[in-house]
Amino acid sequence: MAAPLLKVDNVGKDYAKVEERGGRVRLVFDLLAGRSAARVFRALDQVSFELQRGESLGVIGENGAGKSTLLKIVSGVIEPTRGSVAVGGRVGALLELGSGFHPDYTGLANIDLAAALLGLTPREIEAKRDEIIAFADIGEHIHDPIKHYSSGMVVRLGFAIATALAPDVLVTDEVLAVGDESFQKKCIAWMERYLAGGGTLLLCSHGMYHVQKLCRSALWLRDGRVERYGDTAEVTQAYLAFHEEKSARAKDPVAPSVAAAAGIYAIQSLELSPGPDVAQGEELNLAGEVYSPDGRPPNVLIGIVRADGTPIYGVATDMDGVAPRRIAADRFAFALTLPRVELLPGKYFARVHALDPEGVRLFDNVERAFVVTGATREMGLVRLAHRWGDRPGTKGDDGAH
Amino acid sequence: MPDSRARTAAALTRVDTVSRKPPEAERDRALFANFFTRELTTRYLGSATGLAWAVLHPLALLGVYHFVFTTVFRAGNFDGKSFLVFVAVALWPWLAAQEALVRATVSLGGYAALIRKVAFPHEIIVYASVGATLALQFAGYLVVLVALKAFGEPVRFEGLLLAVPLWIVLAIAVMGLALLLSALQVFIRDVEHVLMPLLMITMYLTPILYPLTLVPENVRPWVAANPFGWLVARLRDALLDGRLSLQWTDAVALAVALALFCAGRWVFRRLSPHFEDFL
Repeated sequence: MAAPLLKVDNVGKDYAKVEERGGRVRLVFDLLAGRSAARVFRALDQVSFELQRGESLGVIGENGAGKSTLLKIVSGVIEPTRGSVAVGGRVGALLELGSGFHPDYTGLANIDLAAALLGLTPREIEAKRDEIIAFADIGEHIHDPIKHYSSGMVVRLGFAIATALAPDVLVTDEVLAVGDESFQKKCIAWMERYLAGGGTLLLCSHGMYHVQKLCRSALWLRDGRVERYGDTAEVTQAYLAFHEEKSARAKDPVAPSVAAAAGIYAIQSLELSPGPDVAQGEELNLAGEVYSPDGRPPNVLIGIVRADGTPIYGVATDMDGVAPRRIAADRFAFALTLPRVELLPGKYFARVHALDPEGVRLFDNVERAFVVTGATREMGLVRLAHRWGDRPGTKGDDGAH
Repeated sequence: MPDSRARTAAALTRVDTVSRKPPEAERDRALFANFFTRELTTRYLGSATGLAWAVLHPLALLGVYHFVFTTVFRAGNFDGKSFLVFVAVALWPWLAAQEALVRATVSLGGYAALIRKVAFPHEIIVYASVGATLALQFAGYLVVLVALKAFGEPVRFEGLLLAVPLWIVLAIAVMGLALLLSALQVFIRDVEHVLMPLLMITMYLTPILYPLTLVPENVRPWVAANPFGWLVARLRDALLDGRLSLQWTDAVALAVALALFCAGRWVFRRLSPHFEDFL
């Protein structure tokens, strides 16, 4: 096997933490003396991976997991505190908005600057300039300073430059999410051709879609460490599962003591009957208790959403002119009956929110999953009452039994 | 149009099969040229008044000093020279150094967007900033010397044989100080605020507006120890008296300038990996 084009070996990065006054002066002395800063934030730790020519790696993780730091280290913008990075070629980086642009330069001047940064001779720059301008496709704005550009135009120009300079490794992050759809398509198409032509890609994204589409392997960073590294499908599934679990945990009722301390209206319990499974067209009951910090009856908003978060229906007590029933000085009970659940079979969530009596501020959110069972070939979310006929308005059999 | 775009896209997909890392020195030269040109064009040549200011500011100062010293104070003893030529020869290099230091100190901030996202040696920014300022001020210096000569002042152009190397020594020292100050400024924002008053005080402690011979005997060694005072004296020797012989102090000055440069660069290189986090 050939030597890897990119080898990241046990890399770690610490950032100095300075809060108190005079901390910066001490930091300067520490750095000059070759000591590490007194207090550090460990942005990355023990990160290792290899990338062969023609491979593509997606880096995923939450905000603050160290993705950008890792990309900056690979592209040489910052040095790792520990470990080593070896690159056997030219790294083209497109990091965040306006990557490597000087805001006061015009678009054209920035093309020259980017080329100079990559060590291109004036003759090489001359040859590439028209390609870049054509790909960016931002018209006369190419003569304006970058600081007057919209974020979409910056990305267009950035992508055009990063790609035209034929990097051995293209390092890029969230930027693709910024351009308009037609430009995004153009970028994805370019990347697919680039990969098909033997290009190497290091892509960092929140969106599983881009990672799954473009990358063969994936690396999941969590709090600066590698949580999982391997085949894209496997890693992204683990990542998504982790998030589902995490959001499920977050949707449980707030403890009464916590709600009282925070002074918020909070849902205390939520029960579904007959249970988490309900047959299509049958009755579903939602009942629970809500805490009120000031003893006034809160508003309760109940919503039904599909498993992917698409809202289907929502209604609040004040919309229907009812109020939860007082069962204690600071507790109220509510119950909602849906006599016929005409949702199509699948997984749904019932979401219950506590609002203040004015119905203005939304405080709390508790969620329960339920499954609508049944067998049908109908499509969509809900069964609408309908009938077939041979002309508009004909009386016929009601199709929905 | 769609055709040409498709062709462009096709051209863009070509990936260099040979790994080609650019020679560092060549890249650094290209970057310096880019930054240097930008410093010159946007700061001085960009606006119509920019270039004028670069020459007018020292000229105006010279005029004011002339009025204060010769008309108000009626000072007359400038080592036998006219006040104008005596001060002009020394004032220009001082203002050049001062402006170079002030601009360079805050120069890294102007390139924050680049430093945070691209890998390149950050010191090139400081070299370009100092280089552009000194180059322009040196050009102004030559213009003023020619003008003074035209008005019949005793300027000796053969003195440039020594004056030019002296400016180079000055440039080396200023580069060193600029590297030091600009790197510190990233971490400690007070540097730029302390710098200006400090430079002002230093200027009055340096025999620029007065000859060393007017300084009372008991403090004269202290004033004479000022390296900038030495530079000013050597420039006057060369350009006003035509004395071109080298002295042992020249070697010391060069050594001091080089030491300053090395120290400044050492500090800069120690701190520059952390700029990204603090800019």
